[in-house]
Amino acid sequence: MKSAILLLATAALAQTLDPAKLTQPPTDTWPSFNGDYSGRRFSPLTNITAANVPSLSLAWVHRISLPSTGGPFPGAIKSSPVVVDGVMFFTVPDHVWAIDARTGRELWHFAWPSRGGIHIGNRGVAVYGKWLYFETPDCNLVSLNMKDGRERWHKQICDPDQLYYASAAPLIVGNHVIAGVSGDDLDVPGYIQSHDPETGERQWRWYTHPEPGTPEAKTWPSVEAMMHGGGMTWGSTTYDPELNLIYFGTGNPQPVVAHKGRLGDNLFTECIIALNPDTGKMKWYFQSSPHDTHDWDANQTPVLIDGNINGQPRKLLAQASRNGYFFVLDRVTGKNVVTSTFARANWAKGTDAKGQPIPDPLKYPQNDGALVSPNQAGAANWPPPSFSPATGLFYINASNAYSVWYIYDDTEKPEGWGGNDRGGYSAAMLQAIDYKTGKIKWSHKWEGPGGPRNGVLSTAGNVVFAADPLNNFVALNATTGQPLWRANLGSAISNGPISYQLDGIQYVIVGAGDTLYGFAMNPK
Amino acid sequence: MTLMYRGLFYTALFAASLAAQGPRPAPPKPVARPLPDGLGKDIVQRVCGATCHGPEIITGRGRTREDWSNVVNGMVARGAKASASEFSDIVEYLGKNLPPRAGAAGAGGVGFIGSGPDDAHLVDPVAAERGQIIYNAECMSCHGVAARGAKEDGTDLVRSLVILKDRYGASIGSYLKLKKHPTTTGRPSASIEGAPVIDLAHFLHLKVTDTLRSGPFTQPVNVLTGNANAGKEYFNGAGGCAKCHSVTGDLAGIGAKYEPVGIQQKFLFPRSFILSRGSRGGVAPPKPVTLAVTPANGKTVSGVLVHLDDFNVALRDAAGEYHTWSRTASLKVVKTDPYAAHIELLDKYTDTNMHDITAYLDTLK
Repeated sequence: MKSAILLLATAALAQTLDPAKLTQPPTDTWPSFNGDYSGRRFSPLTNITAANVPSLSLAWVHRISLPSTGGPFPGAIKSSPVVVDGVMFFTVPDHVWAIDARTGRELWHFAWPSRGGIHIGNRGVAVYGKWLYFETPDCNLVSLNMKDGRERWHKQICDPDQLYYASAAPLIVGNHVIAGVSGDDLDVPGYIQSHDPETGERQWRWYTHPEPGTPEAKTWPSVEAMMHGGGMTWGSTTYDPELNLIYFGTGNPQPVVAHKGRLGDNLFTECIIALNPDTGKMKWYFQSSPHDTHDWDANQTPVLIDGNINGQPRKLLAQASRNGYFFVLDRVTGKNVVTSTFARANWAKGTDAKGQPIPDPLKYPQNDGALVSPNQAGAANWPPPSFSPATGLFYINASNAYSVWYIYDDTEKPEGWGGNDRGGYSAAMLQAIDYKTGKIKWSHKWEGPGGPRNGVLSTAGNVVFAADPLNNFVALNATTGQPLWRANLGSAISNGPISYQLDGIQYVIVGAGDTLYGFAMNPK
Repeated sequence: MTLMYRGLFYTALFAASLAAQGPRPAPPKPVARPLPDGLGKDIVQRVCGATCHGPEIITGRGRTREDWSNVVNGMVARGAKASASEFSDIVEYLGKNLPPRAGAAGAGGVGFIGSGPDDAHLVDPVAAERGQIIYNAECMSCHGVAARGAKEDGTDLVRSLVILKDRYGASIGSYLKLKKHPTTTGRPSASIEGAPVIDLAHFLHLKVTDTLRSGPFTQPVNVLTGNANAGKEYFNGAGGCAKCHSVTGDLAGIGAKYEPVGIQQKFLFPRSFILSRGSRGGVAPPKPVTLAVTPANGKTVSGVLVHLDDFNVALRDAAGEYHTWSRTASLKVVKTDPYAAHIELLDKYTDTNMHDITAYLDTLK
């Protein structure tokens, strides 16, 4: 008995995540990609306010140093750090670091010996008890000991020979490690799967296409097209514990651009999906981009909002989709509540009875080109948005963008890509959207060229943290959009900011290229 | 497809990956493929490495200078940050150092370089040509010209796991040996062995890489579909183009100077880096955005925009002097974008307008 108590006391000193933290607004931890299951990226902390944020100061800098990997580029930090018991964990492809969340001092670094795969980015780690989980470009789900970064096990989750790769941050739900996969070069099917956090064994896999013979399968011209129809699961996943449903988006259909071999809506690509995490069974779907032809993955975070529509409390879900549309759904049923646009989008003829956009065939890629907004990068992309329950506003760093979409391969059976967009114009802005109406409450236009690729954090101190295209990390008034403070970090802000409080000091962390910056509001 | 059949389908699909579970053997020797040294390498590393993607777009198949300029234009629109002269340097570096790949396998062939497994098959284009002769004679009648399947029983080889799992004919050779696979001429499939199987493998892997975004299909089919007369009318009328441009002045001969797709891109997105036909030289930088800044003292300073954000502003005046200010309520900043009218038109053009203008400008030889 005595030794058991001693063991418990020892365990309390090490980094261990209480699973309850995953369901609570983040304060002294940031235990998952979005900080909590809702995907709101809303910090309830109030030491930083719109009034005092001009005094926010730099507490520490952590620059990663990597031995040459043989590839041409150093990795940019696209992961959202996770913070547990004063220690921060973050990634770039093939690498995980543990650093002190107060000082930025490195505790350990884990390097995965890569066998290849696309090193486009890694979104970060998941935490279960004292274990970490992350994905690698060569298709492995790896579990590490938080204490020292030692590998416990690894499991292959996809096949690099078919040009799958893995980049997503896994999500822990109960005794499940939910892992998505990436890859849209070859015509292969997408799926999401669950693993046992202790053993790594696979619990279930859900393919992002319908069962042959079901009504949804009729949205493909053939089973062969459907089985090679893409729909990857590389975005962030959210979870409603009461409903016991996970929510995630699916990516573009295959072939990506030259689409004549896959006429139809192409379910369940480009969808928001609700799934039971215990069984892997789908509860409902909503298609953000029926028959997408522009690589507009619907993998943007499905943000869970406990809101109020027409005086009625509602369990809602909101997505600012890469295709320029903003959707609010009832997350119990998947039924549409609001459809609007949050940026230029000229590709749809309107919306159908389900609230889904109806693609305009004239804006499909054409042999002679079609001028389309948004461009391939999208009105939004993977960088996470934020929802503040204090202001009722959904914040998204967005782009008004145009490019011309061409069919390059007009042969009988195009595969893979077969076309692309070319050139373009892009202007960036931070949009604050009223979730009840989809209307833009305020819009802050960023100076500078091109669209930003960085996330947003909102706080109970009436502050929104975002970034402009000119390397500025910016704090704005969450209610009005007025810029209040900035730090020019010298290279593009590359991830979504997070916040936590330790010993009365509220920190805000953001990555820019190969460096993490820790800002702090010191108590008076 | 029944559920059971589907189960078998995926069992086969992932058999190889599941077999890789368990203790991790030593990784294969990484394929070293750093960017070649050359003028502009540092700019490529800084600009391209800081944005969206990994190295696969750069080090994949290799491209012509023209294709690289298209890639770079796309990246500018997606948020890559650099000056006009730096983008020019990037195009020159990539065009010079990463041209379309050729040569022996292992010494820079065509493949999934940077996107697939490190030990993926690299195609030797010369061997692939030999392989195509075998393919055309024995395989094409069922599997089609592009190996994407033709007849009902002609499997799509681009999507075949036998091909995707193959390295230098190992899997393909075993398959032909064991399966007594039908051939066009009726010769036993097992008789295709040794060097011919390796050649066939090079050809089939090449057909797989043809479907990648870095593949050989990089040009629009035909952009000259518009009505030149309607384009002329739009140019002089609704488009307002004639307010700034003259077909006998600045646009004289533009149809001879640029490919049609280049013309199309240039009037839509005038900041694009568009090479003229057969150009070996650079491209004139786009006209700069200018600023007029008036501090509280009322003395306006004008010049070329160097930096403008919500908090600070900087310009370089005609004498080359650099001026910088913090933005305050009393500091007046007026920005002038010489291409503002082009940007406004993006919201107005129909695709018909776009094709008509392209057709019209192409007539200005």
